[in-house]
Amino acid sequence: MGPDTTASLPNPVMSQAELLYQAQQRKDRQFRLFVGITWFVIFLFLIFLFSGPIKIDREFVANNLVFVAGGIGETIRISLLSIILAIILALLAALARLSTVPPIYALSTFYVSLIRGTPLYLQIFFFFLALPQLGIILPGLWAGVIALGLNYGAYMSEIFRAGLSSVGKGQREAAMALGMTPIQTMRRVVLPQALRFAIPPIGNDFIAMTKDSALVAATGFVHELMWRATKVGRAQFHNLEALIMAAIFYWMMTLILSYIQSIIEVRLSRGER
Amino acid sequence: MSSIVRVSNLDKYFGRLHVLKEVSIDVAPREVVCIIGRSGSGKSTLLRCINFLEEPSFGTIEVDGLKVEASGRGKEHRQLVHDVRLKTGMVFQEFNLFPHMSVLENVIEGPVTVKGMDRSKAIELAEQNLDSVGLLFKKDEYPNRLSGGQKQRVAIARALTMEPRVMLFDEPTSALDPELIGEVLNVMKKVAKDGMTMLVVTHEMGFAREVADRVLVMADGEIVEDEKPEKLFDKPKDPRTKALIDRYRTGGQ
Repeated sequence: MGPDTTASLPNPVMSQAELLYQAQQRKDRQFRLFVGITWFVIFLFLIFLFSGPIKIDREFVANNLVFVAGGIGETIRISLLSIILAIILALLAALARLSTVPPIYALSTFYVSLIRGTPLYLQIFFFFLALPQLGIILPGLWAGVIALGLNYGAYMSEIFRAGLSSVGKGQREAAMALGMTPIQTMRRVVLPQALRFAIPPIGNDFIAMTKDSALVAATGFVHELMWRATKVGRAQFHNLEALIMAAIFYWMMTLILSYIQSIIEVRLSRGER
Repeated sequence: MSSIVRVSNLDKYFGRLHVLKEVSIDVAPREVVCIIGRSGSGKSTLLRCINFLEEPSFGTIEVDGLKVEASGRGKEHRQLVHDVRLKTGMVFQEFNLFPHMSVLENVIEGPVTVKGMDRSKAIELAEQNLDSVGLLFKKDEYPNRLSGGQKQRVAIARALTMEPRVMLFDEPTSALDPELIGEVLNVMKKVAKDGMTMLVVTHEMGFAREVADRVLVMADGEIVEDEKPEKLFDKPKDPRTKALIDRYRTGGQ
């Protein structure tokens, strides 16, 4: 199957194709090598900057590293809870969008329209600051989770809608012909395929959400990564160090999450389509 | 002989389009009936009305003693439709295997989920049927690894594992490459030989001639001819039948 098996063949046509293939491979390898080298150079440059021209207070970093890093857990917690809420809302909204009952359809479109028509920043402040005026006081974490979950749910409903419509009519008919009820058809045939379709974009949204969860810091009630960084940074006039620390932590988190996502995607593509 | 499938005065409208016009058919147990006709003649719609994938507009469908009125509504009607679907297996032009399930999972899905059959018993039955379509060795593959002919044979095994009284085939070979048609037709012949009642919508005149007990010719939403194949193919009465058969002859069929 591989190109190596044909390389030894004396067939002149095959070897020409083989040469072209190898040239392409070489080009690809070269490209990746240069990209890698450039990354490395940028890194070296940054290390140089921060070791000389830009003054970094190492003592501040050492003293506050543990405090700032302590926000990672809270960031992950709020992101996880929010994504779970978002997935549930998105799925409900997408299913409601398929409904032929006008009020259910309307509820779904109204929700999506309202959330997508207003800034996330506003929505977060609404749950922290506006609701208490009505006597509704949510614990800090939950206010953040509800705001983020509602917001991402509205955007993600489109993902689920696309996933549901990616499952062909023939699949439903085959299930019905076997005697499945509409609920069985949805649960056994349509949803598993729709979810498989939706998992990669859900992963993207989850990564985006870990970063957007920083907005919750602005309310001052959730002590996640961003809140901790700004707190120590402002208090001791070391915003530069504090924000760089937080940036590195966010970056590491998204790198790890992207890696996990790529593994899941490879798994999913196996045995499919 | 009492019939196992009886369609009485069936009408079907798609909007203003009248696609089935008072169609009536009777099928005896173990009978193989082929339905031929040009595309748009209503033959697929007729087949799909029998297990209510299409809701007929007027008339009645009777399958193995279950009588369902086209105008039926409500819970009782839904239960009847469900029971009819349990008695009918269907094979589609586009196979419609479930891509997220292995071959074996595809075949046991109906018995386990719909009938609540014990998994091990369903597997035993499924393996028997996969064996009889010659694909037991593919049971752990996913559908995307199968050829079109293999997919269709799995689809037949899937329908048979529900142990239906009647099998409905909706152009089972029309989506296949010519060299793959034979293997599917052979499996269908075997199913017919085992005594299954079959309704087959097809363009395969050779199959109709060789296997069918009766051939129905549809045109413009009506059955214009209902004959034994040898009679129909040699001396078609209706000019539309003649045109249809000639078209396939000259088409190299």
